[in-house]
Amino acid sequence: MKKESIGKILLGKWDTKTIVGVAIGIALFAVLMVYGSIKVFTNTNLSLAMIVPVIVGGLFGPLPAALVCGLGNVLADLIGGWGLWFDWSIGNAALGFIVGCLKLYGADIEDGVFDIKHMVIYAVLAVLGNILAFGVITPIFTKILFGGELNITIAQGWFAAVSNATVLIIAGIPILKALAARNARGKNLTKE
Amino acid sequence: MKNLNIINLTKGETFLHQLSGTTKVRLFAVLMVYVTMSFDLPIILPLFIVTIVGLVSLKPSWKVIKPVVIFVVAMNIVNIVLFWLANPHCGFEYTGDKTVLFAFTDYLVVTKGTFWYLTVRLLKMLTSFTTSLVFIMSITPSELAAGLTSLGLPYKLGSIVELAFRYIPDISRDYENISISMQCRGLELDAKKIKPIERLKQMIIILIPLIVTSFDRVGNISNAMDLRGFGKGKQRSYYSEYPERRNDTIFKVIYCLIALFCVYYIVSGLISPRDPKMWIYWS
Repeated sequence: MKKESIGKILLGKWDTKTIVGVAIGIALFAVLMVYGSIKVFTNTNLSLAMIVPVIVGGLFGPLPAALVCGLGNVLADLIGGWGLWFDWSIGNAALGFIVGCLKLYGADIEDGVFDIKHMVIYAVLAVLGNILAFGVITPIFTKILFGGELNITIAQGWFAAVSNATVLIIAGIPILKALAARNARGKNLTKE
Repeated sequence: MKNLNIINLTKGETFLHQLSGTTKVRLFAVLMVYVTMSFDLPIILPLFIVTIVGLVSLKPSWKVIKPVVIFVVAMNIVNIVLFWLANPHCGFEYTGDKTVLFAFTDYLVVTKGTFWYLTVRLLKMLTSFTTSLVFIMSITPSELAAGLTSLGLPYKLGSIVELAFRYIPDISRDYENISISMQCRGLELDAKKIKPIERLKQMIIILIPLIVTSFDRVGNISNAMDLRGFGKGKQRSYYSEYPERRNDTIFKVIYCLIALFCVYYIVSGLISPRDPKMWIYWS
């Protein structure tokens, strides 16, 4: 297999397949965000939607994953009816970018490569990404866009970070493993 | 689940349906800025009334709308209560008022300022909801893409949003089917009978087939689009987009005026911050 450059992996390849993949990802994200979630705190849910950007990241790269997270959140806000909160969408997009970096450290869902090493890196990235996205980026944008109300945003941010990290690790690893096992091919072959 | 039927794929008959996609998207973008920018009742209330009239004029099927409305109103009220529990003085920053109306304990007090702030906040959330509802119910995916392109965004982005919008009903139907068939095999999904962590585990069981079927579609759809020459040109036109009609011109004037007002309101707020931050009926 050809080794791609890091810049190319980060940007992703924008052909028709990626566009459709991102679109399906957004639809899946929005549906899960609105209907597949368990309430934790105001405007914050234990949502399985967070798995979707990881899979899109594994298939298409980090930038598509960020787009899925950001636009998916906007669309979910639209059909869910709790008002548009662009600060959260931007924070989500950042998180999507970070957890979507699967290909950067060698995990490849399409070819069934997802080992213990990748799981550990993935879990660490999930925690760091959540802290960065909801502890730093979202409050900054809340300040810029709306001003004030920071206490509540920070409280919500911590709840969101903890619940997202929980979902990403508890639910994400088994799902990624199952998908990788489904796609595994030629794994047991050794080169002679 | 069924309430995702609010997305319609063909153009309706009523006045708002007949506007062009460009008009709808631009009007919605301006109105979103209008709702988000302030906590003033005299600004929010008229839009709320107008969107309710708009919703009625769309002649929606009320059977579909009723559960959505009940769900959203209940959720927003719960949110407001949680807001109040998190900080009983959260309205102080906006209204500058600490008159205690009613006290449960030393911490849990209802102040005049907070009560007013939370009431207006609830109305603001509901207005934002009715605006989005009218927008979603009046637009078709193709018109949405045409409108987004008219805002100057690249058409590939428009196509992404269009496809996502188009596939939301399909995916929610798949979700429902998988969930029902899993329940036939003995999976307990009733929220009252099982703990959240158990529920999370069972959601994973539903999620894996949903993800697999959804991403299996990607190949089919992208091949179909490639065969029709998608992405070959720098520009594209839309079948649903047509030259401006009389009503579109009227709405163009309206959204331009609202946009001017928004700019005036935001700029004047930046130059001389309002004190108190929101309109209060007693001052």
